[in-house]
Amino acid sequence: MTIRNFTLLIISVLLAATLLPAKDAGMKFTEMPSAASPLITFRVIIRAGAINDPAGKEGLNALTAEMIAQGGTKELTYTQVVDKMYPWAAGINANSDQEVTTFIGNVHRDNLDAYYKLISSLLLQPRFDPADFQRIKDMQINYLKNTLRSTNDEALGKQTLNTMIYAGHPYGKTEAGTVQGITSITLEDVKAYYAKTYTQANIWIGIAGGYPATLVETMRKDFAALPAGQPNTVTLASPPQVSGMEVTVVEKPTRAYAVSMGYPVSVTRKDKDFYPLLVAGSYFGEHRSFNGVLMNRLRGDRGLNYGDYAYVEKFVGGLGQPPFPNLNTPLRQQFFSIWLRPMPPDRTLFGIRDALFELKNLVEKGLSKEDFEQTRKFVLNYSKLWAATASRRLGYKMDSEFYGSEYYIDRIDQELKTMTVEDVNAAIKKYLNPDNIKIAVVVDEGKGQAFLSSMISNAPSPITYQSPVGQSIIDQDKLIQTFPLTINKDKSVVVNAKDLFEK
Amino acid sequence: MMKTAGLTLLILLVACSGFSRPEENKIFPYKIHQTTLENGLKVIAIPFDSPGIVAYYTIVRTGSRNEVEPGKSGFAHFFEHMMFRGTERYPKDKFNAMLKSIGADNNAYTSDDQTVYHTVASAAALETMMDIESDRFMNLKYTEEDFKTESGAILGEYNKSSSNPFQTIDEKMREIAFGEHTYRHTTIGFIKDIEDMPNQYQYSLTFFDRWYRPENCVVLVVGDVQPDNVFALAKKYYSAWKHGTYKLDVPQEPPQTAEKTGTIPWKAKTLPILTIAYHGPAFSDKDIEYAAMELLSQCVFSETSDLYHNLVVDKQLVEFVQGGNEDHRDPYLFSIFSRVKDPNNIALVRDAIYAALEDTKSNPVTAERLEGIKAHLKYQYAMSLNSPDPVANSLATYIELTGDPESVNRVYAMFDRVTPQDIMSVAKKYFTPQNRTVVTLQQQEVKQ
Repeated sequence: MTIRNFTLLIISVLLAATLLPAKDAGMKFTEMPSAASPLITFRVIIRAGAINDPAGKEGLNALTAEMIAQGGTKELTYTQVVDKMYPWAAGINANSDQEVTTFIGNVHRDNLDAYYKLISSLLLQPRFDPADFQRIKDMQINYLKNTLRSTNDEALGKQTLNTMIYAGHPYGKTEAGTVQGITSITLEDVKAYYAKTYTQANIWIGIAGGYPATLVETMRKDFAALPAGQPNTVTLASPPQVSGMEVTVVEKPTRAYAVSMGYPVSVTRKDKDFYPLLVAGSYFGEHRSFNGVLMNRLRGDRGLNYGDYAYVEKFVGGLGQPPFPNLNTPLRQQFFSIWLRPMPPDRTLFGIRDALFELKNLVEKGLSKEDFEQTRKFVLNYSKLWAATASRRLGYKMDSEFYGSEYYIDRIDQELKTMTVEDVNAAIKKYLNPDNIKIAVVVDEGKGQAFLSSMISNAPSPITYQSPVGQSIIDQDKLIQTFPLTINKDKSVVVNAKDLFEK
Repeated sequence: MMKTAGLTLLILLVACSGFSRPEENKIFPYKIHQTTLENGLKVIAIPFDSPGIVAYYTIVRTGSRNEVEPGKSGFAHFFEHMMFRGTERYPKDKFNAMLKSIGADNNAYTSDDQTVYHTVASAAALETMMDIESDRFMNLKYTEEDFKTESGAILGEYNKSSSNPFQTIDEKMREIAFGEHTYRHTTIGFIKDIEDMPNQYQYSLTFFDRWYRPENCVVLVVGDVQPDNVFALAKKYYSAWKHGTYKLDVPQEPPQTAEKTGTIPWKAKTLPILTIAYHGPAFSDKDIEYAAMELLSQCVFSETSDLYHNLVVDKQLVEFVQGGNEDHRDPYLFSIFSRVKDPNNIALVRDAIYAALEDTKSNPVTAERLEGIKAHLKYQYAMSLNSPDPVANSLATYIELTGDPESVNRVYAMFDRVTPQDIMSVAKKYFTPQNRTVVTLQQQEVKQ
């Protein structure tokens, strides 16, 4: 999820994006049958997300989705639905993102008929019970007020960065909305949004596994009960341009400082240039792996923190989630980001400089032929692991269709097999930039202004170690500790976490 | 009716295995091939339909439970990190380069009872994995400087979760509920011990010598493999590993005799979190008490329970309430967590939880409800086995608990035998005030 803009509003003028998702007439289906499988997975996408929230009702898309996933049907209360699904160990989850909202369910084929009847009723005849509404609304507000602002500094840093990158842009608020936006939503708003959005034009049904061929026809017939509707297209302007190093320091009680930094990139999985950038991103900061430069330099050589990664598209990682690219969080406009996990306060500025130093090296020097060959081979093999289950394969397939591209794993295979090191280094030069970058830092209460001042002053940030380190590290440290920070003072602020996501 | 559904599930999943009664059936649907090398290393191979992919796990039956010496909490986890620092033959950079070349997803985790090293990669790379994994388990080598540098990453791992109140609750609950057993500290360890880790290089060598021994480890390979090939490779690469001698003496926890309580003032914004824990039974694939507690947790705390309906759905006093008996080798805690919406309702919620537990002592669960729970547990397990990695991960749990992957079949067979009376018996035995510890986390000062 992303966070709502707070004080940093940059008005840009803007070109309408042209990369709208492919749209067939009527309901869209994506099928991946596998007769031998005893499991069936559903991914029902509504082509609407947080970008469709009306002004002043931020959070309406997510709240409506949860009213379906955690609500009842016309015939059954929420409790009765849960009771019915419980013996099957089945359920339905809603994942509300910026552009799409996905309902995900898995069931054993023993229980398919009854399960389908329930989830189709949830989607087609939602109960919209006032008591469920209050429960879900409370939960959504508490998520912003008591979880995102408070208990996960890494998520807070990422959300802050998203808000900075997309200030004044439809992506510039969290998928859960804002505290005031959610507070103002009524049950009537939910019903109206459902009526307008849950239409044949917007629904996209994915199904995989051992389902009978007749099921798709049944679904086609059942979901024809939805109104025809119109596609919920939102025109996207370009995100604001980045000018120097724009910093947002967030204050809250914390013992270690989380950092995220990045900027928009103009390529997605649809574009040929995305793939050399994917290789560059893996080389520079493969998620949770010692393959990446950042991980080796910051954690491996210097023990600054637990991990350091880079991404060439949106990534929502977290405890218990697979380390692979996300499913069903596609964006028409993507961004590059670096995630530095929390560092001790006295080492954070050095860590930021170290990451920027390495980014500058990457842009100036690129990959060697050997680095390229190793990384290409890795990505070719590693990407085969991303789609180990039918549910994941279905998710990637639907995302590929969103982008109007071939199946992602196959596209990687095709692109990388003919790629050269020159392609990768050209993409790095074209899309990555160490000078103009947005930086979000989460620091302890009362320490924000001093931290920002230390960045603006460009004072050296020396580092000491508990034990001797190699001469090459010492030599490099001398360059890193004085690495010039070109902070854009006018676009750098200190904010308190309690003021985020408010409106 | 639910029984029928469960039976159908088993019929579908247990290919070609005739059975007549549910209790004779196996929940784990794949054939488990295992052998033990002369040095005591157990090797397990499970062919699974995943063309070209294997999951390669090494389970070390050592976790923070083994940290019996004062000042050494968190060492099992620290050692997990050191295992990525290389050997003479495959120094760190070469080790990483080899994993990179095979496109591996490679990592590790540590818990109270185990340390697990896991890799998912191409089946064609099986011998490469055997080679580099056996090498680091036998020949790990790192400098004191490497050791000190890695301690920064451990502190970083502690720091990354330090804003999460549940990390602090876990620390506090263990420290209060346990006086003797090593479950008194979390897996990551006491912060004072983490901060002292850079000074513990010599102890780290002792730790490796004690625990990274073949009789304390199990190699598990799941996926596109031939068992005979796995065993032959294991013999080739692991036979030189020497058996160890260290005997562990974990202090046992005496029975708790009086209720204990604790409070945590929290600086950042939060709703109150109420945590109630009772000392519970250890994991067992033989003792019906363990199985009865598992089913009891579903009766009282699942989303279909009266308590959940009351507190979450109807009165909406809490965001969530959940409870369960986490699997451990030694008796651990049955823990209940609830995030309460209004601080004024903490006592009300607490009393509702106590009342729900009291109710299980005298009111037997209905036969229909019990069958629903049993079906839920079976489907939940069966549906999780959808690729080599979760299959291996699931078995790793049972391997660390008993050393025997067949425990999974025995446990689920035992679930089938649990009666309403078994559930009432364990409720009476364990859910008593003197066996209870209550920890409440609340915001220091409420700011709107």
